[in-house]
Amino acid sequence: MNDYQQRLVILAALYVTLAVSLNLINGITGQFSIGHAAFYQIGAYSAGYISHRWITELGHSPPRILWLFGMLLAGAAFAAVAGLIVGLPSLRLKGDYLAIVTLGFGEIIRIAVQNTDALGGAYALQQIPKIYPIWLFWILAITCIAVTRNLIKTARGLTFLAVREDEIASQAMGVNVTKVKVTAFVLGSAFAGAAGALLAHYEGDITPGMFAMDTSFIILTMVVLGGTGSITGSIFAALFLFYLPEYLRGMKTADGSALAVSGATVVASLLMVLIAVVCLKKILDSHWGDPRRRGAAYAAVVVASLVLVRVLVPIVGLFKPLSVMQVPTDQLRMVIFAVSLIVIMLLRPQGIFAHHEFSWTWLKRVFHRGDGPRTEIAS
Amino acid sequence: MIDAFPHLLAGLDFRILPEQIMNGLFVGAIYALIALGYTMVYGVLRLINFAHGEVYMLGAYVALFVSYNLGFGPNGHATTSSVANLFLMLVICMVVCALIGVIIERFAYRPMRNASRTSALITAIGVSLFLQYCGMLFLPISPPPSIDEKVNPFRGTKVVTLIPAPAAFNEKIGQMQPLADKADKAYADYMTAHTGADEFNLPPEGQALKDAKQTADGGVLDAQNAANSKSVSVNIRYGDLIILCTSIVLMLLLTYLVMFTKRGRAMRAVSHDFDSAALMGINVNHIITFTFVLGSSLAGAGAMMQATFKGTAITTLFGVLPGVKAFVAAVLGGIGNIPGAVLGGLLMGVAETMVTWAGYSRWSDAVAFVILIGVLLLRPGGLLGSDKVEKV
Repeated sequence: MNDYQQRLVILAALYVTLAVSLNLINGITGQFSIGHAAFYQIGAYSAGYISHRWITELGHSPPRILWLFGMLLAGAAFAAVAGLIVGLPSLRLKGDYLAIVTLGFGEIIRIAVQNTDALGGAYALQQIPKIYPIWLFWILAITCIAVTRNLIKTARGLTFLAVREDEIASQAMGVNVTKVKVTAFVLGSAFAGAAGALLAHYEGDITPGMFAMDTSFIILTMVVLGGTGSITGSIFAALFLFYLPEYLRGMKTADGSALAVSGATVVASLLMVLIAVVCLKKILDSHWGDPRRRGAAYAAVVVASLVLVRVLVPIVGLFKPLSVMQVPTDQLRMVIFAVSLIVIMLLRPQGIFAHHEFSWTWLKRVFHRGDGPRTEIAS
Repeated sequence: MIDAFPHLLAGLDFRILPEQIMNGLFVGAIYALIALGYTMVYGVLRLINFAHGEVYMLGAYVALFVSYNLGFGPNGHATTSSVANLFLMLVICMVVCALIGVIIERFAYRPMRNASRTSALITAIGVSLFLQYCGMLFLPISPPPSIDEKVNPFRGTKVVTLIPAPAAFNEKIGQMQPLADKADKAYADYMTAHTGADEFNLPPEGQALKDAKQTADGGVLDAQNAANSKSVSVNIRYGDLIILCTSIVLMLLLTYLVMFTKRGRAMRAVSHDFDSAALMGINVNHIITFTFVLGSSLAGAGAMMQATFKGTAITTLFGVLPGVKAFVAAVLGGIGNIPGAVLGGLLMGVAETMVTWAGYSRWSDAVAFVILIGVLLLRPGGLLGSDKVEKV
């Protein structure tokens, strides 16, 4: 594996951890946090600072892997404390107010780090020892998935789902809503902090810009796209949304330079998406025909829009500045995130997997058409 | 208490405090204009319109392009401007922003009307990200002064003296000034009499006159500085005054539209109770469109004034921080409450300049969020909002 491939595998594990841990807060407990990068940042900076400051003084005496493991726990602990601090106001706030507070918390953390010279200020916290065994990144991701998945299978975890479905009703049934919400925040942020600690030891230098608002929005997109509440969905969406821009970046033209598309193609594609979404939404809302005919209609719209984009590109290209302009494909990253966020919300607000989880019985049911338990959790 | 923290007060210059407060009001006027859009949309739809900051950003771009077309572009040849130019820019910005707001509502928010509020909020975030990053592909970056300063015919500063220096200082200046003038004249006469004399290598009598002149001038300067340090004055740029006055006019207009017209009454009815208003024969879709027209055009006006008179760099992230701060201002005043948004915006502007004044300018962006969290924890309804707790 070369460095670049290694980087992809490592960052994918981090994004899976982040998406699943945010899903624990947003999807499973039904809170609405959009500042997850703050916890990621706290983990990265606390672990990074301890390593940067003390590992040389200790003269490499601890085995490096043990040190990294300790830092992972330290990052998780610091982020968990931060999660506790954010979790407490969440008792009073709900929905969009909580969202904006978490967003604000993220920005406060970022600005605080930017103004702390000991943490490298606005430049970077440098010279963090680089320790990155790839397996540890994936162990973290798998632990995060396992903890979340096993949590909702237990009686304690069902209270999380109960809080999501109806706070007042679950309170009446004896669920300690306060405790559940705070636990979700602490657990979710601890995993994000652990991911941050690993990131710090992988990158070596970390800057506040790596944890800005758009990082939070990327993680949120992963959760929403996969289906809020579905762990499987988060994992797939994290992998998909992480690899898609990398794939676009990796695309080369015949002479080896980075691939660029014309501005006309971008505009035509956006128009195509708009038209396709309007048509699909109309079919979706009309309750027309039986499922098979509706499926055929969806397929027809998709095919028609693919044809349409071919027609649209030359038409839009008549506007000269657009056909001359070249857009490198890797700049399309955030545009794709934004468009997928809007399209998913308009067509399937519950996300691709909705509340469904992957399970072997489900696979069996698909192949043998036999009876099996439904995969939907507590709907 | 104050004595316990002398180091906190040591760096504070109370003489510039009035000026800082005025600056805060000028900044706050723009926040108030943006906050009005947030608060009206929230009042009607119960949706945090995250894309509002991007409407503001696009408004700045519209102002930029209009100024290019008026001949103030990079290759522009226009040298003088007039009020008509400013007015044209303002009106075009408001109209285009209103249009953008309506389009966003029609294509992104209307389909989400019956979905959960979380879904609508995520759509709003999506629209906001889309406009930011898609704009990045197609729109230029305009470094400060983003719009040519020549567009503004009213450049310059007015000095208003609030507390004049004690008379004794002025008397002293009055006494010293004639002496200094005399010394200046003597030296000038000497120099005209001895043309070609080297200023830095004068004969003794010339050097004596030069020293006398320098001492006298220095004395006057010291006396003036001493007088200035005892007086309090405010420097106001005319551009800032235009911002404040235009904002006040627009807010009065908005108050008229909302309070004294039939459509405004319908808007208040919709924000009070969506379904009942519909049952009473109000066309809810029209009213929501109207709300977006009002809110977005105010944001457009704010963007035009910010870009023209403050010269902030125009990038596609132009609207992110002002948007978030204006939202905080709306929450501070009580979201859904129109006077509250204005009050919140002004307070937010003043709070920000106060932090800068206290020497923590790098923290001024964080203030908004600290205020937000404080307000939500202590008085979730905002300053002028109701205390009504949201029922499920």
